[in-house]
Amino acid sequence: MFELTGWVGDVYESETGAILWLLCSGGKRKKLYLPLSITFYVAGPHDKLRKAWQFLKTAYPTSQLTRTTREDIFIGHREVMAVTQAQPTQHQRIFRSLQKQFPNLIYYDIDIPFTIRVAAEYGIFPLCYCTVSVDDNSLIHKLLPLDSAWDIVHTTPNLTYLLIEPDSNPYHSEPQNIFVTSSKGRIKIPLDSKRLLLLQLNGSFARHNPDIVLTEYGDTWLFPYLFEASREISVSFNPNRDEDKNVIQRKENSYFTYGHVVYRGQQTLLFGRWHVDVTNAMMYGEYGLHGVFEQARVSALPVQEVARKSPGAGISGMQMLTALKNNILVPYQKQQIEAFKAGQELVNGDRGGMVYMPLIGVHDNVVEVDFTSMYPSIIVKHNISPETIGKKTARAELVPELDIYVDQTREGIIPKTLRPLLEKRILIKGQLATLSKKDCRYKVFKAWSNALKWLLVVCFGYLGYKNAKFGKIESHEAVTAFSRHHLLSAKEAAEDLGYEVVHMYVDGLYLKHPAVHKQEQTKPLLDEIVARTGLPLALEGIYNWIAFLPSTLNDAAPVPNRFFGVFQDGTLKTRGIEERRHDTPEFIRQVQQKLIDRLAQAQNGRFLQCALPDAIKMTQQAILALREGTVPLEDLLVTQTLSKEVSEYKVQPAVARAAYQLEQAGKARRPGQKIKFLHILGEPNVYVWDAPPLSHPATINVPLYIELLMRAVHIVLEPVGINKTALNALCINGCYQPQLTETSPLIQTLTDS
Amino acid sequence: MGRTLKTANQIVLDEQKEFKQFRRALRRLDQHSFDKLFTYAKQHTAAISQTSHALPFETILLAINLELLKEIEQLKQKINV
Repeated sequence: MFELTGWVGDVYESETGAILWLLCSGGKRKKLYLPLSITFYVAGPHDKLRKAWQFLKTAYPTSQLTRTTREDIFIGHREVMAVTQAQPTQHQRIFRSLQKQFPNLIYYDIDIPFTIRVAAEYGIFPLCYCTVSVDDNSLIHKLLPLDSAWDIVHTTPNLTYLLIEPDSNPYHSEPQNIFVTSSKGRIKIPLDSKRLLLLQLNGSFARHNPDIVLTEYGDTWLFPYLFEASREISVSFNPNRDEDKNVIQRKENSYFTYGHVVYRGQQTLLFGRWHVDVTNAMMYGEYGLHGVFEQARVSALPVQEVARKSPGAGISGMQMLTALKNNILVPYQKQQIEAFKAGQELVNGDRGGMVYMPLIGVHDNVVEVDFTSMYPSIIVKHNISPETIGKKTARAELVPELDIYVDQTREGIIPKTLRPLLEKRILIKGQLATLSKKDCRYKVFKAWSNALKWLLVVCFGYLGYKNAKFGKIESHEAVTAFSRHHLLSAKEAAEDLGYEVVHMYVDGLYLKHPAVHKQEQTKPLLDEIVARTGLPLALEGIYNWIAFLPSTLNDAAPVPNRFFGVFQDGTLKTRGIEERRHDTPEFIRQVQQKLIDRLAQAQNGRFLQCALPDAIKMTQQAILALREGTVPLEDLLVTQTLSKEVSEYKVQPAVARAAYQLEQAGKARRPGQKIKFLHILGEPNVYVWDAPPLSHPATINVPLYIELLMRAVHIVLEPVGINKTALNALCINGCYQPQLTETSPLIQTLTDS
Repeated sequence: MGRTLKTANQIVLDEQKEFKQFRRALRRLDQHSFDKLFTYAKQHTAAISQTSHALPFETILLAINLELLKEIEQLKQKINV
């Protein structure tokens, strides 16, 4: 028996329990075996349970059967049959066979991810620092975690990596080479000889023994290409560290979520090391590899899964972990449906967060305060959980506006899951506030904070999601009811202190006070809001100026989330304008960004007009570039998501026409995939980018691009007091004399102030 | 995900649509004023939503009246009444 210390790497099931790759402190990588049995539970009428017992005894004599009592949070404690297997790989087979025989029994703890079971049993998680006692057969006898997922300061291993990327986007053109980068350097491998390619890659894997393989298009192109090449020329290729296993390959799929269609490409998952395809990693752009590791640490899900799945999987896993640790049953198929409600109760309950309409125009010295993780804070503070909602006990709290109570006797499963997550994020945000952006820790802390934010965000959504294991719509409604109540309390606090409410949006307030222009002057406001609501709150900053924009269709009608402004430290904040939209051509985005940067030099709203001559000149130059054809075609690309199959469109929008062209070129795309195209003159008015190159760049629809450009320019110059007609006359025709005493409502606001 | 009930903004738009024939029968100049009334209502969608009134049009009328009153008061201030 000997001891090893290191970090938990890949963990997956085996015949006898779990295989755990330990990333040893000295640099070695050890394949170890961890004993683990799997238990699921069955409930139902006594006679049927007895028959199920007899069936299992006969069909699966190795299963260990016991009678026990466990808690179903929706029903209470109930008697169940526990079915335990020493071989995890048999678990699903035995369950399916039993369910086929007894479909009407209630099953629990069926689809819990394997690593969550390991985490519940041993308290470990990916990259957990631990020490193990191991025998000569690599069997772990004792495992002691040395850090917690909730530690901000923790040790991290020196991960070895291999970065593999093609020399071009395979969706656009056939790659000719791949680049393989490691800590030792970068090599180029041509794709013309498959034998050489595979031999060189095998060499790279053997030489560097990477813990993590980072790829571009690894899931969707590289690994499928390599496996096919391997079969074709009979040269073996196994990128796993565990050579006894074959890689897992999952098919592509498209699904509908949060109002839009998402495409998830096919996947290649490795054993013993992690493969992350940065082009197929769902939230990679939000928080990168540091964020992926952080989500894996706190959720105990495998790194490869976390990288590819939405944060919903993470929060769902965490809830299951809380349930396992507290002996709460995890339902396989949820039995609960929405409770009966009278019409008025539905009208009262079915509302979201409070969204104000801003006062249109430019406002100086606006103070923005935001509640920190407002919904999760409400869930924790008011103990909102499916089992606590609707229970009127001696220690229950009434939900404002709704005639329902929340039991405060025992902490609910959702608050119990969220509390450490929320506390960790608040701590990290506190650290971030003290760090300079140049500090090397800033980027890491920011990624962690973003990763945790997404887990917290989806947790609220999962309360109302019908398929969530621990969801219940009434708890979802209670959260928004409390949020409206607290936001209004904050508004009242601000108004009592003499602030004017310029805007409010779910968890943030935009306020101004004639005597408040410095951060330290806002302390009484923050203290008062915290005193009245009991929720954590932070000052986002004070804007030198902020412009709230009207609707594009009606310039007197405000819209809630369309504004841009500059904070006192020079940071810009924009919402709802072209620069933020994913389908805006890069060229137009850049022009709008430069215009805002120029406007940002103004110290307050009155000086915005000084930027006008420069802004007009920049716009004129942009128009000239479009007319002269000097803008690179890549910068004119429009990127839109295909929301359904091309054949399902009744009216063919530009994106469908572009996708049709791809289909014709033999490159069919699935719903949820992004399509890049150019606007051109003549039918079908679009040209798809990932087909053969456009033969006549002269066919670019310049007037349309100018129109799109002017729309983007107008949005940012409108608060300066220039209307559309004037802007077009000045920039396109060059014959307009700026009339800075426009009587538009916007300039009027400026003049009045 | 998704809501069973309409948002306050959608309610205002739908109520406006309900009066399509009413609007049609108005003179062009009056149609502009009619549209403006609903723009006033849109400025108070948060309050309309917060009320959860079974007959939302009543809250829309209240929101319109509120803006009209503000306008009257501003005009009064301008002529020092």
